[in-house]
Amino acid sequence: MMRPLMLKGHDRALTQVKFNREGDLLFSVSKGKEASIWYSSNGERLGTFIGHNGTIWSIDIDPETVFAVTGSADFTAKLWRVETGECVHTWTLESPVKRVEFSPDGNQVLIITDQVMGQTGKIKIFDIDHTKNAQSNAPWLEIVNQDGPASRYTVAGWSYGGFYILAAHADGKVSKYDAKTGELLGSVKKQELLLTDLQFSPDRTYFVVSSKDKSACLYDVDNLDLLKRYTADVPMNSACLTPVKEFVILGGGQDAREVTTTSLSEGKFEARFYHRIFEEEIGRVKGHFGPLNYVAVHPKGTCYASGSEDGFVRLHHFHKSYFDFLYDVEKTAQATQQFEIEAK
Amino acid sequence: MSQAALDTSSSWADAENDLPATQVTENPDGTKTIVSYKINDQGKKVKVTQKVRLVTVKETVDPAIAARRKWSRFGEEKENRTVGPDNKTTQFGEEVQLILGTSWKEDAQKEAEARKKEMAQKKPQTIICRTCQGDHFTSKCPYKDTLGATDATSATTEQPATATPDPLSSTAPGPGGVRYVPPHLRRRGGAPAPGESERKERDDSTTLRVTSLNEQVDDIMLREVFNRYGIIKRATVLRDRETRRSKGIAFVEFDNVLDAQRALEGLNGRGFMNLIMKVDWSKPKKN
Repeated sequence: MMRPLMLKGHDRALTQVKFNREGDLLFSVSKGKEASIWYSSNGERLGTFIGHNGTIWSIDIDPETVFAVTGSADFTAKLWRVETGECVHTWTLESPVKRVEFSPDGNQVLIITDQVMGQTGKIKIFDIDHTKNAQSNAPWLEIVNQDGPASRYTVAGWSYGGFYILAAHADGKVSKYDAKTGELLGSVKKQELLLTDLQFSPDRTYFVVSSKDKSACLYDVDNLDLLKRYTADVPMNSACLTPVKEFVILGGGQDAREVTTTSLSEGKFEARFYHRIFEEEIGRVKGHFGPLNYVAVHPKGTCYASGSEDGFVRLHHFHKSYFDFLYDVEKTAQATQQFEIEAK
Repeated sequence: MSQAALDTSSSWADAENDLPATQVTENPDGTKTIVSYKINDQGKKVKVTQKVRLVTVKETVDPAIAARRKWSRFGEEKENRTVGPDNKTTQFGEEVQLILGTSWKEDAQKEAEARKKEMAQKKPQTIICRTCQGDHFTSKCPYKDTLGATDATSATTEQPATATPDPLSSTAPGPGGVRYVPPHLRRRGGAPAPGESERKERDDSTTLRVTSLNEQVDDIMLREVFNRYGIIKRATVLRDRETRRSKGIAFVEFDNVLDAQRALEGLNGRGFMNLIMKVDWSKPKKN
């Protein structure tokens, strides 16, 4: 049993929730105009970032928790000083920003601009100068989508060392770019519909991609090999990889507009736990009244947060039984190992 | 406590009620015994003995995290002076279960099946014969002639329940041919009819009326939505008697008024299953 903390800082559907590197702060953004920052230990709200004029689609925090970057539908991305909540820089772009992410060293930020209103979707990389507030407005690198609006970029992230950029497309394709030159190094299409989320393992050598085709796939960064596939019964909006335990948490649910066309929505708005290796669903957590738009896990694996269409963030601290769970084969493996050690 | 002591010493009537000073003794095992005196609510002198052990708990925290804990609030929270989490934005949800296991799906399926069965059993009998309690109209009852008039049977079935055969408490004229008693005079001597008493005694102060509810919502879902605000005594969706279709109106009775108030504030005007719920008190509050 767990008693989740319900964080009610947003009036509208959540779009992303994210922990900082140490996991003591939780950042949430919604279709409202503000971002909220919470202490993950007790759910206290530290503050809000005020300044955007539209849906904030994405947020990310640099490794030192000095800066946060947000991307919004108001055609801007903003850089914030986390300690004071002041906006220190605004990048104005030609279309809504769908995703932002800091490079692992925090010196660069990637911004995905949406392919709408006659604009071509792009991944833009900007340099971040930590010594001053004002940042360069000229992108350091631009990767332009070559394949038309059907396969526009939806989400992207940095691989280990910031060497590659992994981008997910709206048609189910995942492609890998060189982060220095922008060269396309390879792409793979194992999923069918819109890819909704891409999150890395703690060491950033592999990543999980969730899709509207009711599945999530685990890929390897180096070869783009499909490692595992987790299948669900509803479209998936987000997936994350848990440290400590080898699980994957999937979040999703029917789209709000589809709820009326189905008989009963009961039991669909749950966070699903899959075993990362056995690809098997091992548990669910209920609670939300709408589809889960994002799930994020604490970097130490002690808790996870889910942001939903219903406007709530639910922060769950795991119980001991979660950490104790092992498959029977794992138990026997451990026992034999123990036995061998004792025999020596 | 010290306030209480002061009050009594200043009172002329209790001049002898001066409280002895608090004594603190250190025990050899490292604990402290504190003996203090106070006057309780009944005005009696009470001796309080506390055994205290001081334990220093060391917690190692990343310096960056420790520094961040001291940050002052900003944005919308700038004016908020609450120490710790503000329950406007942060609340504990109801307990949720996470049982990890490979048999998880089967368990869930079993549970769902059991629930389905239960629902099937519960499937309400929309038509009940007053003669034989079967699912047909009373006028079409095959036992109409053998079981006799409906009134008589209802009387005979009720009679054993009311132990005293008071002629006034019976709802219908018995076989003996007791003279007619108008409805408002019946049951005057005995206990009032159960329906009546309920209507009179039921306290609606903790009941909320929910309107413009999605037709798909059933009692269980309603409970799920409301029970994060407190303990629910009753949650019922009004249904059409014949078709069992939801009328989109429901009543939710809470254990206490505060919870009901919070639920009202929290859920009124909130979208639920694509409709905007209206939540109001069951009856207008009399203040």
